[in-house]
Amino acid sequence: MTTSGLRAVRVAVLFCVCSSPASTQVISIRTVPIAQGDQFQIFPSHNLGMGSVSIALADSLLDPFVNPAKGARLGAARFVSAPTVYSLSERAGGGRSLPLAALARAGSWYGGLALALQQVEPSRAPGFDGGRFEAVPLPGGVAPPGIPAPDTRARGNEYLFAMVGKAVPSARLSLGASVLWSGLRALDGVDLLYAGSRRVEQRGHSVDARLGLLKEWANGRSLEGVLLHNRFAATHDVTFVELFWDPVLQRTAERARLEQNADRTNTWGLHLEYELPIGTSGWRVGWLGTANRLSHPKIPNYELANVPVLPRDPGRSSAYNLGIGLSKRRGPATFGVDAIFEPIRSYTWADAATPVTTSAGDTIAAGGKTVENRFRFANALVRMGVSRDVELQGLGKAVGLQLGLVVRSVRYRLAQQDNVQLTQRALETGWFEWTPTWGLSLRFPELEIRYRGRVTHGAGRPAAQSFPVIWGRDVAFAGGSILAAPSGPLNLTDVKTATHQISLSLPLP
Amino acid sequence: MTRHVRMLGLAALVLAAACDEMTPPEGLPPSLDAQLRRSLQVWNVLPIGAMPQQDPALVALGRALMFDKVLSGNRDIACATCHQPSEHAADGLSLAIGTGGTGLGPSRTLGPGRQFVPRNAPSLLNAGLGVFSVFWDGRISSFGPGPSGFTTPAGTALPSGLPNILAAQAMFPVTNRREMRGEPGDLDVFGNANELAQLGDSQWVEIWQAVMRRLLAIPEYDALFDAAFPGTPTSQLGFQHAATALAAFQMAALTKTGSPFDRYLARDDAALSAEAKRGALLFFGSFGSFGSPGTPARLTPCASCHNGPLLGDRDFANTGAPQLGPGVGAGAPLDLGRGEVVNNAFYRFAFRVTPLRNVELTAPYFHDGVYPTLEAVVRHYSDVVRALAEFDVSQLAPAVRDQYHGDPATLDSIVARLDFRVRTPLNLTDGEVADLVAFLKSLTDPAARDLGALVPTRVPSGLPVQE
Repeated sequence: MTTSGLRAVRVAVLFCVCSSPASTQVISIRTVPIAQGDQFQIFPSHNLGMGSVSIALADSLLDPFVNPAKGARLGAARFVSAPTVYSLSERAGGGRSLPLAALARAGSWYGGLALALQQVEPSRAPGFDGGRFEAVPLPGGVAPPGIPAPDTRARGNEYLFAMVGKAVPSARLSLGASVLWSGLRALDGVDLLYAGSRRVEQRGHSVDARLGLLKEWANGRSLEGVLLHNRFAATHDVTFVELFWDPVLQRTAERARLEQNADRTNTWGLHLEYELPIGTSGWRVGWLGTANRLSHPKIPNYELANVPVLPRDPGRSSAYNLGIGLSKRRGPATFGVDAIFEPIRSYTWADAATPVTTSAGDTIAAGGKTVENRFRFANALVRMGVSRDVELQGLGKAVGLQLGLVVRSVRYRLAQQDNVQLTQRALETGWFEWTPTWGLSLRFPELEIRYRGRVTHGAGRPAAQSFPVIWGRDVAFAGGSILAAPSGPLNLTDVKTATHQISLSLPLP
Repeated sequence: MTRHVRMLGLAALVLAAACDEMTPPEGLPPSLDAQLRRSLQVWNVLPIGAMPQQDPALVALGRALMFDKVLSGNRDIACATCHQPSEHAADGLSLAIGTGGTGLGPSRTLGPGRQFVPRNAPSLLNAGLGVFSVFWDGRISSFGPGPSGFTTPAGTALPSGLPNILAAQAMFPVTNRREMRGEPGDLDVFGNANELAQLGDSQWVEIWQAVMRRLLAIPEYDALFDAAFPGTPTSQLGFQHAATALAAFQMAALTKTGSPFDRYLARDDAALSAEAKRGALLFFGSFGSFGSPGTPARLTPCASCHNGPLLGDRDFANTGAPQLGPGVGAGAPLDLGRGEVVNNAFYRFAFRVTPLRNVELTAPYFHDGVYPTLEAVVRHYSDVVRALAEFDVSQLAPAVRDQYHGDPATLDSIVARLDFRVRTPLNLTDGEVADLVAFLKSLTDPAARDLGALVPTRVPSGLPVQE
């Protein structure tokens, strides 16, 4: 996306919020370049500064949290923490996380516990000056009855992670299981998807359960697999302020309208990765394949949506990725590159709440499909990075430098069938995002401190509305995993998402 | 490794440069609903809030007064005669027939020696929502000097304490000779002298007092007033109290805002048929997306007048309506409308832009009821000058055909002051006409179709309620 500021795009939206951009186990689906804060970059990552390269290059910090079987690679008990802050430019929002984790091993058994506390600021329209959403006072300075003031407080989320696994050294095999429970009161950006709302109260949770397997061979080959199930459920209590003609006052007045939306998405996933060394050259090559099956029993009725019959849309998606990665270690230097292709199919529809008469005079019964959306994605992701360790002679420590780049291409086709108007529409579109990354490590004999950073360009956030959007249900999002239905204009202002993470790893006695 | 780093740096530069050329997602064409809701927002079309509960005692009094002919000088016509529940609070006539007439609704006929009321009797449906002005020429409006707070023909004679414009309006039909008061020398239905008709036209206060004397002479009305205005001594009751009760009845009984269009405004996209939505988009115009300059892609001028929460009421316009009737004031036999009130040439032949909810039920249309159907009205707007020139009198009831003023001088005079918004022909297709009519019909609250339950079996005066 260019930096031209406001831009009207008419799109349909479909994106997952509960997945870290680095994760390939849960495939992110997006149909509009909405900037997402790095809310789910909770756990420490060694390779974050190298573009989060992961296929043919191990991430010693992140791997146990992604595949519990990889906890078997732990050499000793460690305490890990990774304070992370992210912010969006144009004062559009931000957040901070503090995870604390302990990983331990006892014989062939290993395990870990982690707790993360997170604070997410209210999402704001880019350039928000803080005054736009002030309640219109009545004479005497009193807010109109029943209309709450905007909530500007940051909200907190909690994450609990537990992992247990067992290694079978004789078979060079390990098996692990993990569960991540998230208590969510703030998903970044959700409040902006209810245009014209005064306040959005979020509450929900997600559970991500994984079974992992890791098989390693003596010649350096390895095969890993992850079976995952993710359940996401959230409720949004949205307070809109709308204008109406008041027969009592006999003039236009404001009133609050409460709307409760549920957001439910369940995901099943299977992820396989295989890697092997190429001779003794230091090169390694790896392949991955992932399949996600997402069902969306309930998609929130985002106020940007515009779907006939006020949909309570269900939907389902099938997302896959296929990737290849290369890495090379040569002394203190490391290079890695991943290339991933993501074909995705998504089908969403709008249910008729009541019988609907079509333009041909037929009737769609309650529960019938009024609008059907079929998405076909062909996304691509390229990640690459280098790192170099430098021994500080005589000081007993080393410095590590990282540099990387992530480029994501999203391209999709949408075929929309409106069964009420009996019309068909098609859209083919896409965009690029690019994310430079960097990192700096200080390695002492007894501990290691890492700083990682990245900035994502190419996405935007809905612009502030200059007046209450009463009818502006122009773009549909959907998901809980957020799912989308069509269509209408959306003003996006370019924003950059900057993330900084400092991770600390200490051996435990 | 150095080579790898160089390659990575080069790739980053290439990608960074390429990103500035990347194209943002192009949009789907906006759906019909997206376009329509955008247009509704542009024209400030808002949902209507709930009408507050009216005092039942006030409503009971107002209902009795609405149907009681005792308010008329000759005791032969009630408010409801021209605002018949069976005709959706109008009379179905092109030009109303006041005192002296016989019959109800479209079959009502003039009395001997009587003239038509110069204008169509507007429906009272939704009149209590808070309109800015009433009567076709807007001679009563919500903003005015003096204690009453309204601008009316009575000036400072209008008593204070009228709660709303509907109550202010209710003060005047009893003062109008042709509508309810009668002519000097009239006898009432019992052969008694009509004392109201003997008063001068500017004796507003005396007329209202005379009507109140009639009402309070009836014990049942005395009780009804006492219940509606407890604590107000009978000696202090004025016709403004009766008008207040009439307004309360209309607000309670004739507020009908449950149309499919109202449901659409309340966020039910399925409330309107596709035909009605297309018609609405023609009516309100199709604008660009949010953030775009908003130039309408296809715009009929309907919403340039019929906009806002009530779909009208904020303007006066010369829409080129054919002239029919005996005429008003100095302009007679023509009706200069607003121009007669403000004595301003700009407003010659301009009439109030009426709110449109339930318009399907309130035929015939325009200030003089010249068009019997919505389709005829829409075709009029398709090419106003041509429609005026080619007006077909056969669509009028035989009784009013000789009231039509189709001479070239009159037509030229109307066209010369034609509102700029209707000067350019729209040349609507048959399909567009049908869509517009479908939209207009979507403004009908089903509850307004049958108002028969409002008619009381009797009224306190004992006069017949329905002939």
